[in-house]
Amino acid sequence: MPPAIETVDLVKEYGDLRALQELSLTVEEGEFFGLLGPNGAGKTTFINTLVGLVRKTGGEARVFGHDVEDDYRQARDAIGLAPQEFNVDRFFPIREVLMHKAGYHGIPEAEAGERADEVLKRVGIYDKRNERFDWLSGGMKRRLLLARALVTEPDLLILDEPTAGVDVQLRHDLWELVTELNEEGTTILLTTHYIEEAERLCDRVAIMNEGRKVTVATPDELKTRGTDTISVQLESTPAVAPDLKAYAHDTRVSGDHLKVRVDDGGSIAPRLLNDLEAMGYEITDLEISRTSLEEIFVDLTRSEDRTVTRSSATTETDEETSERDAKREQEGVA
Amino acid sequence: MFSVGFRALFRRELLRFIRRPKNTFMPPAITNVLYFAVFGVILGGRIDEPVAGIGYILFLIPGLIVLGTISNAFENASFSIFHGRWNEYIHETLTSPLSYAEMVVAYIGASAVRGLIVGTIIAIIGRLFVPISIEHGLFLVATMVVIASLFAGLGIIGGLVARDFDDLTVMNQFILRPLVFFGAVFYSLTMLPATWQYVSLLNPMVYMVDSVRYGLLGYSDMLEVAPEAYAEFAPYASLGVLIALTGAVIALDVYLFKIGYGLTD
Repeated sequence: MPPAIETVDLVKEYGDLRALQELSLTVEEGEFFGLLGPNGAGKTTFINTLVGLVRKTGGEARVFGHDVEDDYRQARDAIGLAPQEFNVDRFFPIREVLMHKAGYHGIPEAEAGERADEVLKRVGIYDKRNERFDWLSGGMKRRLLLARALVTEPDLLILDEPTAGVDVQLRHDLWELVTELNEEGTTILLTTHYIEEAERLCDRVAIMNEGRKVTVATPDELKTRGTDTISVQLESTPAVAPDLKAYAHDTRVSGDHLKVRVDDGGSIAPRLLNDLEAMGYEITDLEISRTSLEEIFVDLTRSEDRTVTRSSATTETDEETSERDAKREQEGVA
Repeated sequence: MFSVGFRALFRRELLRFIRRPKNTFMPPAITNVLYFAVFGVILGGRIDEPVAGIGYILFLIPGLIVLGTISNAFENASFSIFHGRWNEYIHETLTSPLSYAEMVVAYIGASAVRGLIVGTIIAIIGRLFVPISIEHGLFLVATMVVIASLFAGLGIIGGLVARDFDDLTVMNQFILRPLVFFGAVFYSLTMLPATWQYVSLLNPMVYMVDSVRYGLLGYSDMLEVAPEAYAEFAPYASLGVLIALTGAVIALDVYLFKIGYGLTD
């Protein structure tokens, strides 16, 4: 069985702007795959190339082995897309909108009606079936987009920022539903800026930035790429950070704590305590915190130098660190 | 012959205008009642027969049918495409497995139907003012279907090219209407000086109006004013040219859909 999605050196240019830069990505059938990246990373362009809303400039893109341009009918028939924008037919009640969409995919009218009812019930807006799109609340509109994607019973469900701006209840409902669908065998491609969402749902994630693939990994693998911080409370605060370069990426003094960034906090901590005691410090407390996936994501996407920091041992001053933290906050990932 | 997907889109397009008669059928009905009342009855009573044996109201009917048919076919297709682009719900069609030809033919077919319904309404209104007997029924139907399809096809191009709603108005008001008004709707070419008769022959609307007049009333200006060699074949030659033109416009529409002109990034 060919992969659900396979792109090779996919390029999309808008004049001088390269929205996708030689993007090669494979999503296996049955996978729950996440596409993460800041705004403008090229996630939506990538999706739209698959469904025919963007014409690629170069490279190859296939859906279940069907070329998205040469075999566009087969490729599009396999995809259900819940886009980020509300692009729904305003002229008809939502049940009819779903029936039309099913019809375009070759589903006869009577069956299309049954399917429309079924998906409206599944997403919880069946009682609004005779309303027009404009009269639905924001959350219901989001649910309808999902219903429209499901009404054709796609093998590949693409969700572009499905939980952007929705309340907690709806977010959990959507998560539950898409998990169920994935368990039933539907391949899912999810784009999101919410790291928690990707961590919770996805088998693998690709991180994109500026149209490029930065990395592909499982959420767990990604987390192991981050570093831990051992925070040690000392009886007397040292004026300068002790030299721990043998295993620490950086060491700094913050209030009455010494913060030491290392690869694996659990195994380094005993050695660190011994070293500090040998240097004459008296330790009163110790805490190890792991880097969150969010911090790793920011690290991966914030600059051209995307090397994850395992091998780059540096000693930072407090000033440099807080500058970095402030920059992270400004860039944000939520 | 037609796929389920094609039928679904065709039906959607039909329902869109059928369910809104106030917006789609009432305005041309009212406008044409006014045309017949003012030009036909009030002014027409003082105008000599433009052509021997054909009163002015009767002479007006074919032109008004053409005017209503083509402007509604054009407006429907251009609006449907442009509104779908504007609100992006045309993506529902574009992301479906319909072929580009199926998409185009469904949009054109439904828009042509709207044009033909309006044409029929105008004929019925005309009939209320004056008795009509159809002279060449088959020729009339063929011509009407072709010109409705032609302008539906042109409407698709308009809908793809337009950047805002004003562009659509401009196309209808500044291009279609002048061509139609100088297309011998309200007068016979035989009433013009010879030079203007020949200039008029450059206006494609003249052939459409004339062909419909021939189908409905059995009278064609072409037989009177066209060069002799052409007059022998007119108006069948007109229909042939219109069919070829319609085919070319449909092919262009399919090509524009294929390259995603105005539809995709």
